[in-house]
Amino acid sequence: MKLKALSKQVAIAVIIAIIIVGVAAGYFAFQAGKSPASPTSTSSSLPSSPSATTSESSTPSSSPTSSASSTEAKLASEIVIGVTDKVTDLDPANAYDFFTWEVLYNVMEGLVKYKPGTTEIVPGLAENWTVSSDGKVWTFVLRPNLKFSDGTLLTAKDVVRSIERVMKIKGDPSWLVTSFVEKVVAKDDRTVVFYLKQPTSFFLALVATPPYFPVNPKYPEDKIASDATWGGAGPYRIVKFVRDVELVLEANPYYYGPKPKTEKIIIKFYRDASALRLALESGEIDIAWRTLRPTDIQYFKQQSGFKVIEVPGSFIRYICFNTKVSPTNNLLVRKALAAAIDRQQIIDTVLLGAGEPLYSLVPKGLWSHIDAFKIYGDGNIELAKKLLEQAGYSKDKPLEITLWYTPTHYGDTEADIAQLIAQQWEKTGLVKVTIKSAEWSTYVSYIRKGQLQAYLLGWYPDYLDPDDYLTPFLDSNANGWSGTGFANETVNKLLEKAQTIVDQQERAKIYEEVQKILAEQVPYVPLFQGKLFIVTRSDIGGIIPSPTMILMYNTIYKVQG
Amino acid sequence: MAKKGLGYYIVVRALMIIPTILILYTIVFILLRILPGNPILAVVGTRNIPPEQLKHLEHLAGLDKPLIIQYFDYLWNVLHGNFGVTLASPMGVPVINYIATRFPATLELTIWGFTFSVIIGLVTGMIAALKRGSKIDTGMRIYSIVAYTLFIPWFGMILQYVFGVILGVLPTGGRIDPRISLQTITGLYVLDSILTGNIPALISSIKHLILPGLTLGIVLSGAYTRLVRNNMVDVLSMDFIRSYKARGIPRYKITWYALKNAFIPVITLMGLQFAILLGGAILTETTFSWPGMGTFIVDRIEYRDYNSIQGAIIFFAFFVAVISLIVDVIYALLDPRIKY
Repeated sequence: MKLKALSKQVAIAVIIAIIIVGVAAGYFAFQAGKSPASPTSTSSSLPSSPSATTSESSTPSSSPTSSASSTEAKLASEIVIGVTDKVTDLDPANAYDFFTWEVLYNVMEGLVKYKPGTTEIVPGLAENWTVSSDGKVWTFVLRPNLKFSDGTLLTAKDVVRSIERVMKIKGDPSWLVTSFVEKVVAKDDRTVVFYLKQPTSFFLALVATPPYFPVNPKYPEDKIASDATWGGAGPYRIVKFVRDVELVLEANPYYYGPKPKTEKIIIKFYRDASALRLALESGEIDIAWRTLRPTDIQYFKQQSGFKVIEVPGSFIRYICFNTKVSPTNNLLVRKALAAAIDRQQIIDTVLLGAGEPLYSLVPKGLWSHIDAFKIYGDGNIELAKKLLEQAGYSKDKPLEITLWYTPTHYGDTEADIAQLIAQQWEKTGLVKVTIKSAEWSTYVSYIRKGQLQAYLLGWYPDYLDPDDYLTPFLDSNANGWSGTGFANETVNKLLEKAQTIVDQQERAKIYEEVQKILAEQVPYVPLFQGKLFIVTRSDIGGIIPSPTMILMYNTIYKVQG
Repeated sequence: MAKKGLGYYIVVRALMIIPTILILYTIVFILLRILPGNPILAVVGTRNIPPEQLKHLEHLAGLDKPLIIQYFDYLWNVLHGNFGVTLASPMGVPVINYIATRFPATLELTIWGFTFSVIIGLVTGMIAALKRGSKIDTGMRIYSIVAYTLFIPWFGMILQYVFGVILGVLPTGGRIDPRISLQTITGLYVLDSILTGNIPALISSIKHLILPGLTLGIVLSGAYTRLVRNNMVDVLSMDFIRSYKARGIPRYKITWYALKNAFIPVITLMGLQFAILLGGAILTETTFSWPGMGTFIVDRIEYRDYNSIQGAIIFFAFFVAVISLIVDVIYALLDPRIKY
């Protein structure tokens, strides 16, 4: 009896284990809060200072500061945005993913920020700044009478405290501060001075990132506050956060800038693109943001009642080659494989147009970009064959290579991309490709250990500067994560030099040179830069697509009636 | 005698939950660590983070300890009711906090799915038995097979499309309209809405429950349809039913007697179904963006968050084991032939 009962228990245990682990694993195969700042007043809006409005784009229907009731009355007070992304960590000391940064950009603000729709850096909480002649001391002067979203005064001390907090906590993105900043001091209530370890030409782009955002004094000094909703001094503040379910924002009445067009923004989190699409179709959400599938975008483009807005992407996709293992340690092989790739075919057949061919690691549109890889052409089978033959491969003795991808990080299209690239390589008749995949964490572990030959990866920038597209990839002191083993002294020196020069034209020349070396050495093959799409219902307006791929909610509105 | 025996049986069965959980924990622990990678790598990915910082983060998560220490550390904590803290995205939040908010969601969905499946299964099974040999019977038998083989995400999406998009009468995801605020007491939204007298919340939460509950209910009703039909057919052909008929006892009464007799095996199935139901809830939750334990486990697998996955599965298993125990006891009480 006991034995029988025990075996039944064990059977149940095994069934549950198989069901839970198996179902969850199978799912991947199938597809790829609490204490709000007490609102004291939500209706009062501080008059915006004239200098603040210079950085805001006004939208056609009304000026953001306009109080003309005839226009305001037509706009809805709330908008629901659906996403498949997740908020990981609401603490800028540890948040390090694109969507969480987007939320932080909306509920906090840095000393400087991006002008909506551009990569131009404009004053944020600081009204001006100066840099010392050696490029190592940066002084920022805050706007007068700044307040956090709960009404607490924001002074230079808060800025210093927030940045020191990031340095102390040593969370994921802390290197964006600690690698560059020696110390930061508050000279008086409105003056913040950064002393840098070395001159850093792109320091302003770094200051625009969340680890530099002043946070409410309620954030603990040395601990991560993952679910904290106190925020900073951005256009919105968080009133409700239920992890993976919803995030509710309301206009911050203490914001120095213009009042957001929509008082309340509700973000609903969906499991996958299918659920997001259904929610938009059924009217549960007004805007479907990151990320619908290419087929969904095609579908909505043909439907009436929806608007599809294209967002130029600053994220890039590329193939990495391990330059330390055979056969990818052979430059001829790398060049041949680069030549055989037909980027446009990938974009047309797999991405259904949601991308742009890329011929450098620096994306198109960012200064210093050159089409370095055009020297190989696209789908240049003849050149590929010639190079492979030079490398000693023939039909009888083809090049055998394993191409890796991960199905759990870059969406549903990843397997198709890998398949198509393999086909393009095999078109030469001299290559035999084996495709393998691994779940993200395993994949990353293999890459970091340098165990793979050729593999697909993607890059979202930390800061919008060519440096962030070149140094982490090509500087041998910084590219350990990539598993390519690429090291080139000339490139190292050029990249280090470019970091310290202030003159952009001079820097651009250096980066162009680096890109040429990249194309000659081929440790990476750039494939395409992604486009993102925002699909909205037709009554939504005021969306300003930005190259930073961050959606600012304060300009969005919904016309009623 | 029977009472004492039953008490003894309950104690033994309750004690057996311990090795069950232990085996399950060991399986999950090994499965999670058998592959390269860890929670920190899953979050950091290919970010350009200095190696020393990676080590610091791994140290914070306790991943630099030997595996055997990690195994017993966690076990010791669980024995003290501590399910550990999340290891990634976000790091350091007690897992029990998540279980406390996610489990009621799964329980609520499970209860609805369970109720739908039993009702649909009983009705269809009963009709099939009463119309034995007819086209209706064949139809119901086909229904039971089709329902049983339906793939939840596919079926769920069809329902979402029909009722959410085409008809626009029911929401396609979530538990409640985010615009409605509900004071949570039990975490079961329908119950909480009733307890707090919040009518809009009650309507919204019921509307949100219909599609996922129905999806789960229909898929699991197939087994009941078959079982109820076959049992009822057996009972209806028994001598006592024939003598009831001969005595002119009304048909509805005869049906009731037959149903009562056919019900005992159904209860056994209910106990087993409950475990499957929770498994099915994972697929239903992911299809309907339902913030329960299923979506929690799937999310956490993505992050390779060892503590959360282990904690959630242990909790789940404990719950299923207790339910299974309760069902067995009810079964024993209902059927006097069973002795322990």
